[in-house]
Amino acid sequence: MDAALTIDFLSATVRIATPILLAAMGGILIERAGTFAVGLEGMMLSGAFFGVVGAYLSGSIVMGLLAACFGGMLFGAIVAVATTRFDTEHMVTGLAANLLALGFTSFALRTIVGRGQAPVIHIPLLQPLPIPFLADIPVIGTLLFRQPPLTYLAFVAVAAIAVFLRRTRGGLLLTASGENPLAVFAAGTDPIRTRFVALLGGGVLAGLAGAVLSLQQIGTFTDGMTGGRGYMALAAVIVGRWLPLGTLAGCLMFGATEALQLRVQAFNLPVSSYVIQMVPYLAALLVLAGIGRTARLPSAIGQPFRHD
Amino acid sequence: MTVAAIMPRSPWRGGLAWRVIQSVVWSLVITGILILMAGKNPLVAYQHIVLGAFGSWDRVIVGLNKAAPYMLAGVGVALCFRGNVANMGSEGQIAMGGLAASIVALIGAGALGGLVLPAAIVAGILGGAAWAAIAAAINLWRGVHEVLVTLMMNFIAWLIVAEFLHGPLGEMDAGFPQTPMFDNAAWLPKLVARTDLHIGIVLAVLAAIAAHGVLWHTVIGFRWRLAGASDRASHYAGVSRARSVLGLMITSGVLSGIAGSIEVLGVHYRLIEGFSLGFGFNAIAIALLATLKPLWVIPAALFFAFLETGALSMQRQIGIPSSLVLVIQGLSLIFVLCAVGRGGRKV
Repeated sequence: MDAALTIDFLSATVRIATPILLAAMGGILIERAGTFAVGLEGMMLSGAFFGVVGAYLSGSIVMGLLAACFGGMLFGAIVAVATTRFDTEHMVTGLAANLLALGFTSFALRTIVGRGQAPVIHIPLLQPLPIPFLADIPVIGTLLFRQPPLTYLAFVAVAAIAVFLRRTRGGLLLTASGENPLAVFAAGTDPIRTRFVALLGGGVLAGLAGAVLSLQQIGTFTDGMTGGRGYMALAAVIVGRWLPLGTLAGCLMFGATEALQLRVQAFNLPVSSYVIQMVPYLAALLVLAGIGRTARLPSAIGQPFRHD
Repeated sequence: MTVAAIMPRSPWRGGLAWRVIQSVVWSLVITGILILMAGKNPLVAYQHIVLGAFGSWDRVIVGLNKAAPYMLAGVGVALCFRGNVANMGSEGQIAMGGLAASIVALIGAGALGGLVLPAAIVAGILGGAAWAAIAAAINLWRGVHEVLVTLMMNFIAWLIVAEFLHGPLGEMDAGFPQTPMFDNAAWLPKLVARTDLHIGIVLAVLAAIAAHGVLWHTVIGFRWRLAGASDRASHYAGVSRARSVLGLMITSGVLSGIAGSIEVLGVHYRLIEGFSLGFGFNAIAIALLATLKPLWVIPAALFFAFLETGALSMQRQIGIPSSLVLVIQGLSLIFVLCAVGRGGRKV
């Protein structure tokens, strides 16, 4: 493996990890507040869809990004209304939202955007924004400081959420809503509202994660284009034990395994591409099994809270 | 004030069945608004779905054949959810069942003679059950949440099927990842001669009735319901959580394995890439639509199957995309969840 290949491999790792990372940060907000985040996949897909449609109809990439936030938040809100107002089971509610997102985006793309058939849409990709001076550092500069805007956002989100959860009143209330909602209620805040807001915020981040795929990496929308990345994000959150930095490590690991899979032929590995494609999932399973029971869930996650 | 689950005041009124029907109607209304926004007449669209589903005996048979695997897998999922095992892995269990059945059907055709069909079905059952048992084992020994284990294993199962189709089992020069056609002896018998209707639908209805019987009239069924109702109560009663998780997962694996087998042995007569795509997730939706009652899985699976065959025909006739079905399914699932709350999990 020579230097050029290594840099190529590492930058692919960052590229693949970015959408998973943003979604996983949304997942941390949602799960720490006490809701299982199975719906991340649907929020991502909706964000990817609304991002492309927004950018296509308005001709502005900024509008596309705002639309992606809205799209993610929309499905966050659907899960939030169902789980907080109607006390539905979190896992299946998330799964239902994913099913709905898959159908809605596919249907709306063909009917509302393109009259009857899937329209051909090409959005100019978000371009890399080199950061002055830092971008000129060899290797690290190329890897970390010559990236498109949403990649920076993903890494900033890791730091921001770490500070938010640890150092702010809002973050502590959010964590407490997932650990001991009764205490939050006694302290004068409504844990249900906290969970609701966390789902909206997590939805925005997952929507932007979808926009990473559709606006920053591919430039169009195809049915089910998130392809299970929302579930990978969920696994990364657990691998990272619901902590932003640990989750970052989990996302980079998944990114690296997938980047390796794409480079099998360059590296001359003696296995078929399907076996290599299993690696990210096997890695996730192995790490989860290795962590085992020490991965302690927020203690009130998945439990309903009622005021009476 | 407690943090315990108390049924919320719900805007839905009436009995469980009535709430489910209301939920489906509401999802049809909202989907109708989407069709209107797309500039088409929703009534015409729904008319074409009904015609496409029931317009001729051939259409009905296609729907019944489609309903059979949904019903089988849906019953397995309903049992698991009853016992508080969030099994999302039916998708992978169906794929592995179909793969195992296909391997036996292809390899055993000459050697086993007339026994190749039962052997293939047994292989399918073992394939599905083994895949489910691995998930249960990881869940029990390492404490990894079953949702994550089963979801990850779905992806792995799809890739294993793809690996076999692109490698040892694939048909040469087919231009599509599929196996050669099975020998006649491995085909699932027809229910009605000279039609495509295979016996799968009968197996599926029998499975639903059997599951109902086990759940309500046996000790095992009582343990499963107890495990689903209250961890503490079942612990005091000496019911082992591990045993019920393993039992429920393997039951789901067996049923999903049969579902995968009848799909390859009764419909395609070969293994095709993506032959079971979405079946397992539909099974979850169907189980919830049936509010986790095995007998209610029968109408719920028929509803999903006929909706899908009808929508495909509607797409051909009037050009409204059949992904409409996913919208109806997703919406009715969310509405049913809201309408039933956690009541569906009660003993």
